[in-house]
Amino acid sequence: MGGGWGGWFARRISLSLLTLFLLSLVVFAGGQLLPGNVGRAILGPLADPRAVAALNHQLGADRPPLVQYLGWIGGILHGNLGRSLEFRSPVAPFIGAALVKSLKLAAVAAIIVVPLSIAAGVAAALSAGTLTDRVISLAGLSLTVIPEFVSSIVVILIFSVWLRVLPISAAWPAGADPFEQIRHLILPAVPLVVVLFGYIARMARAGTIEALEADYTRTAILKGLPRFVVLRRHVLRNALLPTITVIATQTSYLVGGLVVVETLFRYQGIGSLILTAAIGKDFPMLEAGILTVGAIYIGVTLIADALAILLNPRLAPGMAG
Amino acid sequence: MSAEPGAAAMLPRAESARGGRGDPEAPTRWDILRRSGTFWAGSGIVGFWALAAIFGPRLVPWDPYATDLLHELAPPSAAHWFGTDQLGRDIFSRVIAGSRDILTIAPLATLLGALAGVTLGLAGGYLGGLIDIVLGRIIEVLVSLPLIIVALLVIVALGPSAVTVVIVIGLVFAPLVARTVRAAVLGERALDYVAVAELRGESAFTIMFVEILPNIMGPVLVEATVRLGYAIFTVASLSFLGFGIQPPSPDWGLAIAENYGVIAGGYWWTVAFDAAATASLVVGVNLLADGLHGALTA
Amino acid sequence: MPRPYSMIDPLRRRLGPLENHLVDELLAGRLSRRSFLRRASVIGLGGPMLAAVAAAFGPWSAPLAQAATGKPDTTIRVGTSVPAGAIDPVTVGDAGGLLMLQQVGDFLVYDQPDLRLAPMLATSWKPNPDGSVWTFRLRPGVKFHSGKTLVADDVVATMDRLADPKNASNALSVFQGVLSKGNTKKIDEHTIAFHLDAPNGNFPYYVSSDNYNAIILPADYDGNFEKTWDGTGPFRIEKYIPKVGASFVRNQDWWGGPVLPARTEFSFYDDQQPQVLALQGGQLDIVSQIVVQGAQGLLNDPDIAIIKLEASTHRQLHMRCDIPPFNDKRIRRALALTLDRPAIVAGLFRGLSDLGNDSPFAPVYPATDKSVAQRHQDIAQAKALMAAAGSKGFAVTLTTEQYQEMPDYAVLIQNAAKEIGIEVSLKIETQSAYYGDAVFGRSDWLDSPFGMTDYGHRGTPDVLLAAPLTSRGSWNAAHFKNPEYDRLVADFVAAIDLSSQRAIAGKIETLLLDETPVVFAYFYDYLTAARKSVSGAQPTAISQLFLQSASAG
Repeated sequence: MGGGWGGWFARRISLSLLTLFLLSLVVFAGGQLLPGNVGRAILGPLADPRAVAALNHQLGADRPPLVQYLGWIGGILHGNLGRSLEFRSPVAPFIGAALVKSLKLAAVAAIIVVPLSIAAGVAAALSAGTLTDRVISLAGLSLTVIPEFVSSIVVILIFSVWLRVLPISAAWPAGADPFEQIRHLILPAVPLVVVLFGYIARMARAGTIEALEADYTRTAILKGLPRFVVLRRHVLRNALLPTITVIATQTSYLVGGLVVVETLFRYQGIGSLILTAAIGKDFPMLEAGILTVGAIYIGVTLIADALAILLNPRLAPGMAG
Repeated sequence: MSAEPGAAAMLPRAESARGGRGDPEAPTRWDILRRSGTFWAGSGIVGFWALAAIFGPRLVPWDPYATDLLHELAPPSAAHWFGTDQLGRDIFSRVIAGSRDILTIAPLATLLGALAGVTLGLAGGYLGGLIDIVLGRIIEVLVSLPLIIVALLVIVALGPSAVTVVIVIGLVFAPLVARTVRAAVLGERALDYVAVAELRGESAFTIMFVEILPNIMGPVLVEATVRLGYAIFTVASLSFLGFGIQPPSPDWGLAIAENYGVIAGGYWWTVAFDAAATASLVVGVNLLADGLHGALTA
Repeated sequence: MPRPYSMIDPLRRRLGPLENHLVDELLAGRLSRRSFLRRASVIGLGGPMLAAVAAAFGPWSAPLAQAATGKPDTTIRVGTSVPAGAIDPVTVGDAGGLLMLQQVGDFLVYDQPDLRLAPMLATSWKPNPDGSVWTFRLRPGVKFHSGKTLVADDVVATMDRLADPKNASNALSVFQGVLSKGNTKKIDEHTIAFHLDAPNGNFPYYVSSDNYNAIILPADYDGNFEKTWDGTGPFRIEKYIPKVGASFVRNQDWWGGPVLPARTEFSFYDDQQPQVLALQGGQLDIVSQIVVQGAQGLLNDPDIAIIKLEASTHRQLHMRCDIPPFNDKRIRRALALTLDRPAIVAGLFRGLSDLGNDSPFAPVYPATDKSVAQRHQDIAQAKALMAAAGSKGFAVTLTTEQYQEMPDYAVLIQNAAKEIGIEVSLKIETQSAYYGDAVFGRSDWLDSPFGMTDYGHRGTPDVLLAAPLTSRGSWNAAHFKNPEYDRLVADFVAAIDLSSQRAIAGKIETLLLDETPVVFAYFYDYLTAARKSVSGAQPTAISQLFLQSASAG
C-alpha cells in the first residue's frame, strides 16, 4: 500500500496546485472586470484625475494586468503573499487576523452543531421509521435551506431585541476577554448551526443505520452483548468517523461562506475582507483572500478523503482517482 | 467520494438527490406522491406564494409602494396589520406583494442552470474524455469557493440587475446539475438499450437526448427542485447584501436589509414578517423537493 | 444704535476699507452678529476691534468648546469608521483617515463649527487689496513631536506637496485654479505669502481644517507617515493597527496649552449599528458621526447627548440638461416642484436638516441670500409646466448609490415624480460602480441622464458652485452650460466683502431656480453622539473630532 499512498498524495497535491492556479487566474480575470481602479478607490470620486494617475503609478497599478499578475505570482512562489494596494503594507497580517476571526466563529459554531446534530442523527436512526425520526429528519431538512440572514434575524429579535441577553453585533469591544468574545459569537454562530445541522444529522443517521445493519453488529447482538455496549463499540464508532470526514468538507462553507453572517453581525472575518478588497479593487488582497479560502478547502478535502480511504479499504489508492 | 472531492460540500441536499435506493415492493410513483405529506405541505406553501406573486399586488389593502412619511415605523395596528416601515409603507401589503420578484428570478435561474447542466452532464457522462476532465476541474474550483462570493464578485463587476443575477446563478448551478446528471448517465451507459442504440448507429446527440435523457428525468427533476430551493436562498441572500433585487421592490431580503439597521430600536415588525415569509417559501420548496424525491427515485 | 457707534468709531480709523465695510454692514443691520464674526475671521480682522464690537453687541458666542466638567487625565474612547487605506496626509480622502490625521496634526487655521476661522498654527492673516495674495504669520515656538521647531519652510513644503500634480494629492482638486506649486513663498522664518492663481475672497478656508489633507508636516517628510506620525498636534501616536484601531497619548508640549485627556482610543467599525450599541453599553464614550437612519433609538436615549452641527452636507439630484428628457428647463423645474421637502426632511432626518433651495447656497453659509423665496411642493404648477413643455410624462431611470439614506430618498423621488406622469425606475449601485472612473464617458455618475450623488460638508460654497455646475466643471453631472452662471461664479469667488458676495449669491440662486440643473432638497446636520458624562469634545462637520479639551466623568 505504501507506494500507492505516495503516488496518491503526489497526484492529489499536484491536482490541488493546478486547481489553485486556475482559481488565481479566474480571480485575476474577474478582478479586471471590477469597476473603478485602486487609485480612484483610495482618493475618492472627487480627487483630481492627475492625482489618481500619480497614485496608480506609485502603486504599480498602471502596469499591464499581465505584468501585475506575473509579479504577484512570482512573489507567491517566494512565499510572499503580496502587498495591499490600499493599505500599502503586506497582506499577510490582514489575512491572518481575518482568518483567526472567522475560525473563532467557525469553532463556536462547530462546538454547538457537531454534538447536537450527531446526537439527533443517531437518535433518529435508533428510532428509524417512527415519528421521532420523521420529525428530526424533516426539521433538519427544513432548517438547512433557511438563509443565514433569516435565521439571524429570528435569533437577534429574540435574544437581542426582546430578551436583551446577547449582543446584536459580533464586534466585541477592544480588550474583551475570551468569555466576552464567545458571548458575542453565540448569535452569529446560530445561522451556521441551522444550515449545517440537517446535513450532519442526515449523515450521522445514514451512517448509524448502515452500521446497525452491518454483519458485525448482528454478530455482536447474537453474542448477547448488552445494547449500549453494541451501540458504543460497534455502531457509533463505525458511524461517526465517516460523519466526521464529511463534516470536514463543510469547511469551505464555514470559512468562506460567512459573508452574509459577517455582514449581518458586523464581523471583520475573511468573508468581509474579500468583499472589501473586491470593492476597493485591491487585487493582491483579493487574490490572497480567495486563495486562502480555496487552499483551506482543498487541504481539508484532501485530509477528509485520506481519512475516508483509511476507514474504507475498498477505496484504497490505485483504485480511486 | 474521491472522484469528486467534496462533491456535496456547500449544497447538502444534492447528496440525497443522488442517494435513495428504491424499495422493490413500492407502489407507483404517483401513489407515493399522492400520499406524501411533505409534498402536499410544500405544494400548499409554494402555491400560496405563487398566487400571491400573481394576484397579490391587486388584492392587498394598501399600495405596497406608497410612502407616508407621517406614519413611518408605526407598530402593527388595525389599519396596518404588520405595521409600517421607515418610509411609512404598509408592511402587510409589501410582504404579500414581495414574492413576485424572487419567484420570477429564482425559477429562471434554475431553468438556465438545469438546461446548461443537463447538456454538460450528458456530454461529460456519455462522451467522457476531455469534456469530463475539464468539467471535473471546473466543479472542483467552483465548490472550493462559496457560491455567494462567486456571485458577489461577478455582480460587483457587472452591476446588479435581474438579468445578471439569473445568469450568474444559472452558470454557477450548471456544473452542479451536471454532476448529478453525469452520475445518472454513468449508471445508464452500461445498460443494454444504450448499446443497442449504438449498434443501430444512432448519433451521440440522439443517444444522449433521446435515449438516455428520458430515463434520467427523475433525478433531473429532483435536482432541479432542489436547485430551485438554493436559487431562492441565493437570490434572497444577494438581495439582502444589496446585490440582488433592487429598491423599491417589496422583496423580502431587500426589506430586511433596508430595515435591519433600526431593529435595535425595537422596531421588530419591520423585519419579522419578511423573515417568516422567506423561511416559509424556502421550506415549502424544500418539502416539495423531498416529496418529489421520495416518489421519483423510488 | 448710538451706543455701539460711539464706542466703535475711534477704532474704525485704523481699519482698511474692507474692514470698515464689514462694520457698516453690521451697524446697518444687514449682517447678523454671527455672520459679522465669520466674515471678520476670514479677512483676518481681530484684536481690539473685535473686542470693541463684542462689548457693543453683547457677549461672545460660545468659545471653541464648552468647558470640561468631568475628570481630566482620563482615556476617551471613540468609535469611528475604518480608515479605508494607508494613513498618508497627502492621499487620505475618507472620514476615518482624516480623523486620524487631525489627532496628531494641526492646520494653519481652524474652521470652527459655526464657520468662523480661528488661529491655529497661523496667528494672523491678511489679503492684499484684490485678494490675490494672502500673507500668514506663523505661531513661534511650535514643536513637532520629533522635537523639530516649526518654521516657514515646513509650511511651504506642505503646501507645495499638496499642490503638486505628481504627488497623488487628494487636495489637488481643492487647490485647482487657486494655488499652484511654487506659489507659496517664505517671507521670513515665521511669515509666508500665498500668491493665488486668481483673486479669492475665501482663501483662508483653503488652508484651514476644511482642507483635511493640509496638516502641517515637517519639510523633510518622506512619504511614510505611518512610521512617524510626526505632527504638531495635541496627541502623539501610541499604536495604530489598520482596520482595528488606534490609540494616542497627550502631547505635553502642545502649543495650545494643557491637553486634558491622558489618552485617546479609537476603535474602527464597518457600520453604525455596533457603534451605537457600544455607546449605549458604555464601551465607547463618543461615536464620531451618526446618521439618523438606524440611530433613532439614540435620539431619545437619556444617557446620550447628540452634538448637532448645522452643515452643508447634501445630495445632488442632477438632470442632464443636454439630452432628453430633461433638456427642457420647464420639465426640470416641474420635477423639483413635486418634492415635499419639509416632509422629506422630517421622514429621513427627524427634522435634523435644513431645506435646500436648489442651489449650493446652504442656509449655513453667511453669503447665502435668504431673501430668495424657498421652493415648495406645487403639483398644479408642476403639471402646468409639463403641459407647457408639451410632455405627458415619460419613463426615466434614476441612478444612484447604496449609501446612507439615499435609496430611501430615491424612492421618495420616485413616488413624487409619479404625480406628474414621470415613471422613475431606480438603479442603485455600489459607490465604486456609481462613480466608475469618475471621468466623463466612464462613470454612471457623470454620464447618467438622471442621477443622485452624495456631497460632503464644505466650509465655503466655492467648490460646490464651480466643479458641479460650471461649463467646464469636472463634476458637472448635469452637463449644465450657462455662460451667465460661469461669470457669476467667477465674480462670487473673487468678491472679498460679504455684501457683494451676497448680492451675487442672490443672482446665482435665482438663476439656478429658473434653470434647475440640480435639485438640492436638503442640507443635513452633522451629528456626533456622546455619553452625557463626556464634555468638551468638539467635532467638525468635515468629520474631525477635537479632543484636547475633552473629559469623561
